[in-house]
Amino acid sequence: MSGKGIASMTAITAPALPLRQRLLRPNALWLAAPGIAFLAIFFLFPVLRLLSLSVQDPASGALSVATYARIANTDVYLQVLGITFKIAANTALFSILLGYPLAYWLAGLKDGLRERMVLLVMVPFWTSYLVKTFAWMVVLGRTGVINSMLTGSGLASQPLPLAYNEFGVMVGMVHAMVPLAVLTMLPVMIGIDRRLIQAAQALGAAPAQSFWLVYFKLSLPGVTAGGLLVFISSLGFFIVPALLGGRRETMLAQLIITQVQELLNWAFAGALAAMMLVAALVTVWIYDRLFGLSSLSGETSGQEGGTGRLRLLGLSILRVVAKASALLADVVRRVIGTRGTSKLLSIYCTLALMFLVLPTLLVIPIGFTSSQFLEFPPPGYSLQWFETYFSSPVWLSATLRSFGVAAATAICATVIGGLAALALARSNTRWGGLVFAAFLAPMIVPRIIIAVGLFYLFAQIGLIATDLGLVIGHTVLALPFAFVTITAILKNYDWRLDQAAAVLGANRVKTLFLVTVPLVKGGLVAAFLFAFITSFDELTIAIFVSGGIKTTLPKQMWDDMILQLNPTLAAVSVVVFVIVTVLLLLAERFRRTT
Amino acid sequence: MSDTNLTINRRHLLKTAGGAALVLGMPGLTGRAQAATTITVADPGGPFGPAFRKAFYDPFEKATGIKVVNVAREAEPTAQFKAIVETKSYTWDVCTLTLSARDILVKQNLLEPIGFTRDAAPGLMPEAITDHWMGTDVYSTVFAYRNDHFKDNAPKSWADFWNVEKFPGRRSLRKNPIDSLEQALMADGVSIDQLYPLDVDRAFKNLDKIKQHIAVWWTGGAQSTQLLQSGEVDIISGWNARLQSAIDGGAPATIVWEQGLYSIEGWAIPKGNPRADAAKQFIKFCSAPDRQAAFTEVLAYGPTNLDAYKSISADRAKVLPTSPENLKKMRVANENWWSENRAAVTERFNSWLLT
Repeated sequence: MSGKGIASMTAITAPALPLRQRLLRPNALWLAAPGIAFLAIFFLFPVLRLLSLSVQDPASGALSVATYARIANTDVYLQVLGITFKIAANTALFSILLGYPLAYWLAGLKDGLRERMVLLVMVPFWTSYLVKTFAWMVVLGRTGVINSMLTGSGLASQPLPLAYNEFGVMVGMVHAMVPLAVLTMLPVMIGIDRRLIQAAQALGAAPAQSFWLVYFKLSLPGVTAGGLLVFISSLGFFIVPALLGGRRETMLAQLIITQVQELLNWAFAGALAAMMLVAALVTVWIYDRLFGLSSLSGETSGQEGGTGRLRLLGLSILRVVAKASALLADVVRRVIGTRGTSKLLSIYCTLALMFLVLPTLLVIPIGFTSSQFLEFPPPGYSLQWFETYFSSPVWLSATLRSFGVAAATAICATVIGGLAALALARSNTRWGGLVFAAFLAPMIVPRIIIAVGLFYLFAQIGLIATDLGLVIGHTVLALPFAFVTITAILKNYDWRLDQAAAVLGANRVKTLFLVTVPLVKGGLVAAFLFAFITSFDELTIAIFVSGGIKTTLPKQMWDDMILQLNPTLAAVSVVVFVIVTVLLLLAERFRRTT
Repeated sequence: MSDTNLTINRRHLLKTAGGAALVLGMPGLTGRAQAATTITVADPGGPFGPAFRKAFYDPFEKATGIKVVNVAREAEPTAQFKAIVETKSYTWDVCTLTLSARDILVKQNLLEPIGFTRDAAPGLMPEAITDHWMGTDVYSTVFAYRNDHFKDNAPKSWADFWNVEKFPGRRSLRKNPIDSLEQALMADGVSIDQLYPLDVDRAFKNLDKIKQHIAVWWTGGAQSTQLLQSGEVDIISGWNARLQSAIDGGAPATIVWEQGLYSIEGWAIPKGNPRADAAKQFIKFCSAPDRQAAFTEVLAYGPTNLDAYKSISADRAKVLPTSPENLKKMRVANENWWSENRAAVTERFNSWLLT
């Protein structure tokens, strides 16, 4: 992927030693070894084995490119690939646009208040994709909450087409992804020294200029990381487009799943997955050239070498944006007055937070409904769905297993991903780009491909229907999130603090635990939470690895809703939501008192 | 020893209860019934779990001493079957399959023979049993409309569904060529007896006419229930039990059985299964008419053993696809045609959707 670009940039600072010497001398890159070994065994090997089916003739096993010829000769697959990329790119764009002011506002709050507000941002995370998406159907439908309000108040004479089209898909996906964008940008923004802006203004910069040319520029690593994470995670979506999309909103993951599960044509599924993988890698490579993804792989500022011209272009764009927004700010101020302007950000953030918590707020009353359906407002109230949940050993054990597996996954992913991020940040090697690509790869490969590949591997080593198998599978998926989050925070980390600690006599381990870790704690917590949630809401791996016996919460919800959706799902969401909120608040209190 | 005695006693009880045919068919198997044997059965999940437990799993445990653990399978569990057989990790011993999944798996030689024929259960519909599979329940693809929208002017056929002038309203079809092509052909005047082989070009030509009038393309059973129940659409194609569950929940809607296409789900065993004996015994157990009548109390699916209607109330029979009144309006969907053509037609359908 961006390997070449990053490598050539980082290589500039690497001392010109002979190759063998460079490989053998003690190098921080070794810290990435556990992660690389883990990915080689549990990701690369099973996935490559499956993808290799795409170049084999199913009957004779001989080398064949028939599957790829079929893709090239049928326009539908390339079209769907285009739609997939468009939806993912728009999701990334809107998640960043919507999330940036929110993250900016959060970064400026006092620690305590900010932590409570971050909990609100994370609310969508704690509601399963399945339930969230159905909640949006209830909100956006023709007889839904918004349309009832619009037609009821006479604001609209006809219900608006809010769902079953591109708009519906965007709402569902952006809603699911804004928390990821905000939580990736936030640690970087918190790390920005706001006195720099004061300094810029003291030197005569207008507020808009100091924002765009100083603050925004410093927050770019977070923006790039957030945009990339959202884009790549969006590539694999299939529930949201299936339930909220229209005729044209078909994404590639849906077609791959059809090939794997319904047509049992794994060779063709492998070819489609390979096509998506290559297209994603090319996109990431272009992204790297345009936005300097290399800033993420641990290369420190001022060594941007090859991208000099692009960098200048970027800076001049920023200058134009700064001027334009200064003008706009002037106009706005004249229209609504200075006082109104200063409130704009908090008004916006209140609205954004409402958008984020809306589906969950709806799910709570639905959990208490007396109806058989997810409808809002509920026609009456009862506790029957909670009774169903609490009297079902299957639901309860699924809940316990999900929490356990997610916690184990989060620990593994944070440790492995953190070490790898540290390795990249501390070593100047030409392998950096490759390592970076390796840790991002599990995000790009469709989950169904990883799941089928893992099923084969796990069956051979007896990990089917075990909790360990689930933890391993989920760690593969969670690693990229943990890795990128920690990389982004390390990017802004001042390594001179480590040097200072070393000068004062601390050894490396001591430095790591007493200096580095406490200072990047925000990033570590975010990484832990991402990994936890990735596992907690994961369905595909669970379907294959659990064998239906060791069932997790999303798997149990999925089983329950394939045929019939009933408010037990809402009741479960309420229970999960309460447990998680209590845990987070307790953790928060504990942290503050110690 | 005591186990054997118990089994005999239960066998006797069952015989009097009407399960004679099936129990007589397997004396050798029952004799060997291992007290400790447990089989894992994958059913469609959701409402099926408890309904099948009551109708099949618990009575089977009682009759044979073989324990049944049930798990939920995917809508099309072919990938799991392939993986289970190829890696010999038999997490499932029996699983329900649709006709299309069955045909794909038979073709790839991934199913174990079930070891009995229709002679053992003469009430079975002829299409409900093959060497590798026995149908348990029948579902039908029909359409339903909202009474509050259409009032007295109710659509009665697929031609009416297609007639947007005479029957204005928001429509929904499944985002899948299966059934949609047949529906388009019937709407164009092809008789239900002469659908196959499908005239694909003619079907797409008629689909062109309704394309712009489809408000929602549904993708899952639960979604179709929600669309009908909430009034998001006024008329919708779908599986009878999913539409019925909206009606049972109070939605003012009517199912039209005319020109319905039914299909069958049934049990199969992954090839090479070490517990195949117990699994075969279980499948045979599920062919009994009284057992099949038991699940229809909860699920609006039709029994495959038509003798079951002897003990099903007339009111309940009205909403079941295989009741004589409904069955005569419908035909079975032709799986052979689909397994030959599905990949190519799906590709064309997906491409058609995008233009």
